[in-house]
Amino acid sequence: MTDKVTSCLLIIIVDTNPFWWSRKRRVNDQLSLTHCMDSVVVLGNSHLMLAHRNKLAIVAAHTDQSVFLYPRPPTEKVNMTKLPDDGQYNDFRQVEGQVKFQMSQLIAKDKEKLEDLFEMEEQPPPSDSLVAGAMCMALCYAHRMEKDCPIGENLSVRILVVKGSEDCPSQYMNFMNAVFTAQKQNIVIDACILDTESGLLQQACDITGGLYLKIPQPQGLLEYLMWVFLPDPVARSKMALPPRAQVDYRAACFCHRHLVDIGYVCSVCLSIYCTFSPICSTCQTTFKILGPQKVSKKKKKV
Amino acid sequence: MVNVTKGVLVECDPAMKQFLLHLDERNEFGRKFVLQDLDDTHLFVSSDIIETLQEKIDELMDQMSFYVSEK
Amino acid sequence: MMASHGLKKLTCKDLRSYLRTLSHSDLDTLYCHPATCLAVFRDLPELSRYYVMRILFVEQAVAQAVVQQWSTAPVVEQLEAAAALVELRVWFEQPLPGGMPGWILNPVFRANFRTALLGGGAPWIGHKDLTPDKYSKDIPFLDKYALDRWECVLHFMVGSTEGTDGVNKDITDVLLHSGLMAIDEGEPSITAEGFQFLLLDTSSQVWFFLLQYLETVQSRNLSLVECLTFLFQLNFSTLGKDYCTEEMSENQLRFLQHLREFGLVYQRKRKSHRYYPTRLVVNIASGLSKTNIDTHRPGFIVVETNYRIYAYTDSPLQVALLALFSETLYRFPNMLVANLTRTSVRAALARGITAEQILHFLRSHAHPEMLKNNPVIPATISDQIKLWELERDRFKFSDGVMYNQFLSQSDFELLRNYAKDIGVLTWEMAEKRVIIVTKAGHDEVKKFWKRQRASSS
Repeated sequence: MTDKVTSCLLIIIVDTNPFWWSRKRRVNDQLSLTHCMDSVVVLGNSHLMLAHRNKLAIVAAHTDQSVFLYPRPPTEKVNMTKLPDDGQYNDFRQVEGQVKFQMSQLIAKDKEKLEDLFEMEEQPPPSDSLVAGAMCMALCYAHRMEKDCPIGENLSVRILVVKGSEDCPSQYMNFMNAVFTAQKQNIVIDACILDTESGLLQQACDITGGLYLKIPQPQGLLEYLMWVFLPDPVARSKMALPPRAQVDYRAACFCHRHLVDIGYVCSVCLSIYCTFSPICSTCQTTFKILGPQKVSKKKKKV
Repeated sequence: MVNVTKGVLVECDPAMKQFLLHLDERNEFGRKFVLQDLDDTHLFVSSDIIETLQEKIDELMDQMSFYVSEK
Repeated sequence: MMASHGLKKLTCKDLRSYLRTLSHSDLDTLYCHPATCLAVFRDLPELSRYYVMRILFVEQAVAQAVVQQWSTAPVVEQLEAAAALVELRVWFEQPLPGGMPGWILNPVFRANFRTALLGGGAPWIGHKDLTPDKYSKDIPFLDKYALDRWECVLHFMVGSTEGTDGVNKDITDVLLHSGLMAIDEGEPSITAEGFQFLLLDTSSQVWFFLLQYLETVQSRNLSLVECLTFLFQLNFSTLGKDYCTEEMSENQLRFLQHLREFGLVYQRKRKSHRYYPTRLVVNIASGLSKTNIDTHRPGFIVVETNYRIYAYTDSPLQVALLALFSETLYRFPNMLVANLTRTSVRAALARGITAEQILHFLRSHAHPEMLKNNPVIPATISDQIKLWELERDRFKFSDGVMYNQFLSQSDFELLRNYAKDIGVLTWEMAEKRVIIVTKAGHDEVKKFWKRQRASSS
């Protein structure tokens, strides 16, 4: 018998990469950022609705920064988009208002930078989002919440990544570190993929025991979120959910951040390289290149 | 022919049942009260004995227990 | 009889079993407000909640066969989940065009539940923006106020004179109605149920009290539905925020005054246009769980494995409560040392207090240092208290009449089957051809037997 009450913290990481979303818009896709944010907020509120003790956090993974959309630090004045006074539950309105406000801030900041970007045309715009960074922020937040948790209460945490843009192998190290931290802290990572398959998140979900789903029809995003990602890991055993996907377990090499099938591994620190290097750049171990073994003379005589 | 008897059905653990049989055998209440030994956990007894029986059981329990805490 | 010590065990309904007692039309009216839908939703079984979320945006009936495929839980659990939704009229059966049985969400529930989640519709009562309060109150003040008021009620129950002048007729009425107190020599005095009530944690107490109060509202010419709607809305209000009494109906204003008496809301003056919900009422609907801890009031009880209780308290009420099931050893101005003994616990059990209630009391008032342990109460203590309870429960007596010495197996089976059919069979044993029927059923069975013999001979 346990005397403890469990509360659930759901941290949603949303990919808000403006380049990816604008490309989506250009090809006239039905899924827009507004639609996606609305769905995410509804999922968050539904999570809060399930039980009184449930908690929520939403983090935006942008191209150059990660921002907490909800909740904001308690020292900050509560800024929120004024929503009409209607029949919505006040707490839910708070969430929606704050998320909307922070999103508009984020987009406004991007607008300022837009002109700079046009000037440096030769450089291709960054197409990846800082998912790894956002995950680290989420983990820190989860850690703090666990510490703040009143005695006699348990907190179970899970992270849901809603991601559209492509994987970026350059984040491989940070990403995997975050994943293993999550595993150690018993935090489940789920992934909801809007566009191209993400090998990294597949691994993350597999390692932490989360769910990975590439949604076949992005316009039905909310339905997928509600059915697949609303139940917490304990409740999932009771649900008929999509089967586990095949996991792409390729690692990125440490030298060029390419995903490799076969590579060289440092025998001391297990760093991965796509080409042979005589000195391991991580642990500075030197490797002697061994030529073919010399045939001993003694043997010849006998 | 069917025999009809009024009484009380007692359901208890086997140890307690044996204790009741023992009380019955030794005529603790001055007479027999077990009407029928049914099975390991059931007895059929006369209804007027219940009160006395309970007192007796309480007494037994008191004898069996000891002070768990020091004063 | 030993098993039923002539005492009623205090049964406290949770929200769901309470709502089940309401009529269908009452339920439908209740669902017209988003707050009720939210409260009801949170109280549903886990699986039912996911069902609702799944079909919240589906406007048509969904085949029952399809719903079955959503879950891999055991069928029993699935049926329970579906039944809970039917009972509360959250969904009901509707055949699909092809004639297959389907489920459809109650449209009223769907609409208002969506409003709660997504917005739209009319604002909640009193959620108007108010000018800042000149006498604005902070959370510690409200907590203290609410607790003081509530303790008044508890003090009144145990008959201590401390600050009980605040207890008026409304409260006494409810206490008498609920059987927590009974008129004894012209004065209300506490009953055995009352003692069990005192051992509950505060939120369960408030919830129980409110249920009893709601049973009496009709006799006070208040509408039950209006009161409930308002109560559920309070349930979802924010602590430390002020709400406005404008737009409230006459009935609701009267109800508000009652809640004020119980300490569930704070209103500076009767005519004041604003009120503050206190911690007692915020989230009251989920109040009846086994694991509640009074977080706003630090615990004070330390229980050691040597059966000693140390209670850091000076409240005569808490001292009286502890004395219900323990023997006081020493009393100091701010603390008390007591012993849990077999005699003292048995005395409590004899009063109808259960072992679970004692343990719950100890757990919910456990000192913060104790809460660091898992389990909070040492296992030896909790086991022993439960054993003491079981010890009183070794016998099950049931009055009955025994039929034996049947001449043939067919006679035996005939009589047994008859007794079973009319539901009076307590026990049977085919090998010895013995059946025992209840006292009440004896006449019936005897008549039947006589008829049988007459017809067969």
